[in-house]
Amino acid sequence: MEFLRPATWAEALAAKADLPEAAPIQGGTDMMVELNFDVHRPAALLDLNRVAELTRWTAEADGRLRIGAGVPYARLIAELGDRLPGLAQAARTVGSPQIRNRGTVGGNLGAASPAGDSHPALLAGDAVIEVESAARGVRMIPADEFYLGVKRNTLLPDELIRAFWMSPASGPQYFSKVGTRNAMVIAVCSFAIALHPGERRVGAAIGSAAPTPRRARAAEEFLAAELDWDAPLEPAVLRRFGELATEAASPIDDVRGTAGYRRHAIGVMARRTLTWAWNDLRAGRTERRAG
Amino acid sequence: MNARITLRVDGRDRPVALDTRTTLLDALRDRLSVTSPKKGCDHGQCGACTVLLDGRRVVSCLILAVACDGSEVVTAQGLVEEGEPHPVQRAFLEEDGFQCGFCTPGQICSAVGMLQEVKAGHPSQVTDDLTGPVTLDDEEIRERLSGNLCRCGAYVNIVAALREETAPSEETSPRAETSPSEEAES
Amino acid sequence: MTVRRGAVGAPAPRVEGLAKVTGSAAYAYDRPVADPVYACPVQATIARGRVVAIDGGAAAGVEGVLAVVTHREAARLADTADAELAVLQSDAVAFRGQFVGVVLAETPEAARQAAGLVRVEYDEEPHDTELRADRAGLYTPEQVNGGFAPDTDEGDVDAAMEAAAVTVDRIYTTPMLFNNPMEPHTSVAVWGDGGDEGGGGPGEARLTLYDSTQGAHVVRSTLARVFGLPPERVRVISPYVGGGFGSKGMPHAHNVLAGLAAMAVPGRPVKLALTRQQMFSLAGHRTPTIQRVRLGAGADGRLTAVAHEVVEHTSALKEFAEQTAVGARMMYAAPNRRTAHRLAALDVPVPSWMRAPGEAPGFFGLEVAMDELAQACGLDPVELRARNEPEVDPESGRPWSGRHLVRCLREGAARFGWEERAAVPGTRRAGRELVGLGVAASTYPYYRFPGSRAVVGYDGSGRYTVRIGAADIGTGAWTVLTQIAADALECPLGAVRVEIGDSELPPATVAGGSSGTASWGSAIVAACHAFRGAYGTEPPPGAEAGADMPRDPDAERFAMHSFGAQFAEVRVDADTGEIRVPRMLGVFSAGRIVNPRTARSQFIGGMTMGLSMALHERGVLDHRTGHVVNHDFAEYHIATHADVVDVDAVWLEEEDAHAGPLGARGIGEIGIVGAPAAIANAVHNATGVRVRDLPITPDLLLR
Repeated sequence: MEFLRPATWAEALAAKADLPEAAPIQGGTDMMVELNFDVHRPAALLDLNRVAELTRWTAEADGRLRIGAGVPYARLIAELGDRLPGLAQAARTVGSPQIRNRGTVGGNLGAASPAGDSHPALLAGDAVIEVESAARGVRMIPADEFYLGVKRNTLLPDELIRAFWMSPASGPQYFSKVGTRNAMVIAVCSFAIALHPGERRVGAAIGSAAPTPRRARAAEEFLAAELDWDAPLEPAVLRRFGELATEAASPIDDVRGTAGYRRHAIGVMARRTLTWAWNDLRAGRTERRAG
Repeated sequence: MNARITLRVDGRDRPVALDTRTTLLDALRDRLSVTSPKKGCDHGQCGACTVLLDGRRVVSCLILAVACDGSEVVTAQGLVEEGEPHPVQRAFLEEDGFQCGFCTPGQICSAVGMLQEVKAGHPSQVTDDLTGPVTLDDEEIRERLSGNLCRCGAYVNIVAALREETAPSEETSPRAETSPSEEAES
Repeated sequence: MTVRRGAVGAPAPRVEGLAKVTGSAAYAYDRPVADPVYACPVQATIARGRVVAIDGGAAAGVEGVLAVVTHREAARLADTADAELAVLQSDAVAFRGQFVGVVLAETPEAARQAAGLVRVEYDEEPHDTELRADRAGLYTPEQVNGGFAPDTDEGDVDAAMEAAAVTVDRIYTTPMLFNNPMEPHTSVAVWGDGGDEGGGGPGEARLTLYDSTQGAHVVRSTLARVFGLPPERVRVISPYVGGGFGSKGMPHAHNVLAGLAAMAVPGRPVKLALTRQQMFSLAGHRTPTIQRVRLGAGADGRLTAVAHEVVEHTSALKEFAEQTAVGARMMYAAPNRRTAHRLAALDVPVPSWMRAPGEAPGFFGLEVAMDELAQACGLDPVELRARNEPEVDPESGRPWSGRHLVRCLREGAARFGWEERAAVPGTRRAGRELVGLGVAASTYPYYRFPGSRAVVGYDGSGRYTVRIGAADIGTGAWTVLTQIAADALECPLGAVRVEIGDSELPPATVAGGSSGTASWGSAIVAACHAFRGAYGTEPPPGAEAGADMPRDPDAERFAMHSFGAQFAEVRVDADTGEIRVPRMLGVFSAGRIVNPRTARSQFIGGMTMGLSMALHERGVLDHRTGHVVNHDFAEYHIATHADVVDVDAVWLEEEDAHAGPLGARGIGEIGIVGAPAAIANAVHNATGVRVRDLPITPDLLLR
């Protein structure tokens, strides 16, 4: 197995162009499991750890945050928890603390598992994925166009994920996850919500309840149309939001849970997270509570 | 053998030639005879191989050794200074925070890394306030050590060990053997 | 004859503790060996059939590969009576994951790559892996594990059920469970001819094994038989063992595979460590069980009938019959009692011992049924059990050597705040959580196995060495045996060094059946007394005396069992069904506690495993492939730190006058028994939902 260690982003893109079958590796927490499992034995590994810029994040002129694909979850939580609370909450449930010290959103995007914890928060927060190839340059892909199927994404063989872009939270955000133990657990299903009071809009997405992570579009559109932003939350609105979120799911029965339970739990999490977010908004709070 | 790297392991430079497929864990155990990190699953799912890599706790089974060239690795063996066990090691002894001992070096490295994270103010999943200082109560200890499985079921004693370790340094006496392990009132 | 109190009863820290916390304790794979070879097994990818072709060419071509060994190349074994151990002896495949070959290489990476390149063609036959109570081909084994009769029948259960004022007749199930000690099963094998690890003449083949085992001597005697060697030419060394919970109690196929593989590279040690995934097919497991429990009682709750009838699986390759219903024979007073075990021999991996075989699954069924009976009678579950306390063992008619179940229940109820339990299920709420309390009884037999010998030596400078081939798999045996020897020799703890974990030491029985302290300890007491008898208190340098474990006449006269009461509090999220266990308390009666520190750890460790069994553990066998699909720690969940909040154990201060010189009955297994039932009963109290199938998962609690 060839082991490539580019020192710069340009070298990395060149290497990927030369050897499209090379599998990129950063923290290793997704890729190494595949390797050690003998699931996947790539001809080459492309170690991105020396590409320093991947581990940086910046606040861009347009107000958005651009976060390098190699920023580990632990730094995301510590350094961006205030600006990206939904993603930080999700990041805090990924694997174990040791995994979070190495694992990255870039790896989660590359693996594109429907159970990946960061995806619903990326979707609800309107993340855009920046990918690049030596031949065609940069593509900016909205998160909800990124996932194609179970463990499949829209990345082309010569492309690498460089960063993702998100706006700092303009309102309360929550992530919720149901698992069958209290830690180190792959989600039975998960849900993320992001309120955008300025636009009078709500982002909502589900995880581990369909072949891909996906937005709960009908639920989002319902709130955009029906939510009275200046009044207490109507029980009927809350209920309908839960129903529509549930309808976004097309879950299966597996070792972790039944399809029926997943639908039920998505509804519960949708109602809960909206309630928490709404209460925060009404109280003028931005900090989170336990989810 | 297609790579030559140098790891600094427990304070010593250890040059080693190895296959690029070799994980940090296998490099330590099979090439360098540093056997305190254990292989419990080889998939990052048990924590027995936890070491401190450049000061941060990581599972060494999910890292390629070649990616660690020039890095500093501290294992449970390396936490011993001049023959004196680390305070966390002493606390595990005091509270019987282990039985078979196989997960123990990983638990201890994880605990040492965890205490540093707390000192740096890193929140966990059970930290309510994402921005304030962290109070290390029992719930926080449990959450923050949950990457380390123990099949013997020493969890409550490990939490007790770290509760002792992090308590304000007043005099501590070993708990009576039959008293319930109460929640810390912090 | 009892030993003087002094070291025994004190909370001595573990003698090997420093080595463990500093990481210097060398487990089997960690032992430094010169010039090692790495082995990677090849496993069958079908559940039943024959290997018709193997192409090891590509594997052999990988740089660093030394040998590819399959059934065609492997040496013939001298004894293949134990089919599990008849490794690479034929082309037959009896379960998915069985060894069909092994690759040896200079590095672990090369071995693993090459193993993946071995092409195996099969002639696949239809397989059968599904256990159901209504399936054809169920049979009655000759005996069940422990040597018990498979069936018992006293009185007339059917008539008693017919006549009973209150009855419970339900099916309870437990899933396929895996021991999963943290240290994977490991054997480092080297063939030599009188090398440095032990005598023997030149030219005499000798096998040395650095192993992870609960019994060095049983591994030695078994491998000697299998390889056709006199036992003295096999040496098994295993001072540190990373847990076993029964799965390392007897040799398994990997031990033989390591020995066979090492024949290909004589003089070089072959390192074979199973992966976590491989353990799910090769390291034993607990059978799934389907238990029908029938209880008949008067309106006052006094039992008239107890029937416990169990269907479980074994492997078609080798029979192991879990004694699931045996505990019901002695637990409660009822004139009409029936137990039965039926097996299906399936194309599955070989089941084996897992912590408290029999009692652990059996007391889920029995003790949830008792809770159902209490509910049906309108009685408090503690009171129901107290009303059914037998005067003597209902099975044997023998008096109890000490049965204090009711004291355990009452003590636990007082300590746990049992009076806070809601009389009506589903009525206690805290925020969005439903709160419930549950109780269950537990028991485990007193076992003392013959066959251990201890030898005491004196070095002339105040230090005694006690040698016995026992094993400390995390139990605290090393420490406890040191305490016992110190008291028996009437010398300070620090003057005694105990050597264990090596088949060159005097023989010892396996660390199983919670028997270690009683078996090895009484041999040590006898050896110490023999030593003092021969040499007095001023022995000459080099003095040595040994003794076998003495006979135990009381074991024939008394019914000897430990007992316990398990209490649990659960909190269930009313909307998602997520379950938390904020508190567990066990109160045990286990005879004398030799070391309160290590004993408490054992009890709470067993209870923690019981919590894990209640809420997390389930091996999922895909019947289309015969494969355990969740064969790793990501999907086969065991409890994490975050799942275990406040688990505590206390015990009655007592000494069993009939339980040998120590008065101790054994503590390693009772902690798991009844814990899952206590949690299931608490879940019922919290939610009103009666879960009869483990594990209890959130989806089961939503209505």
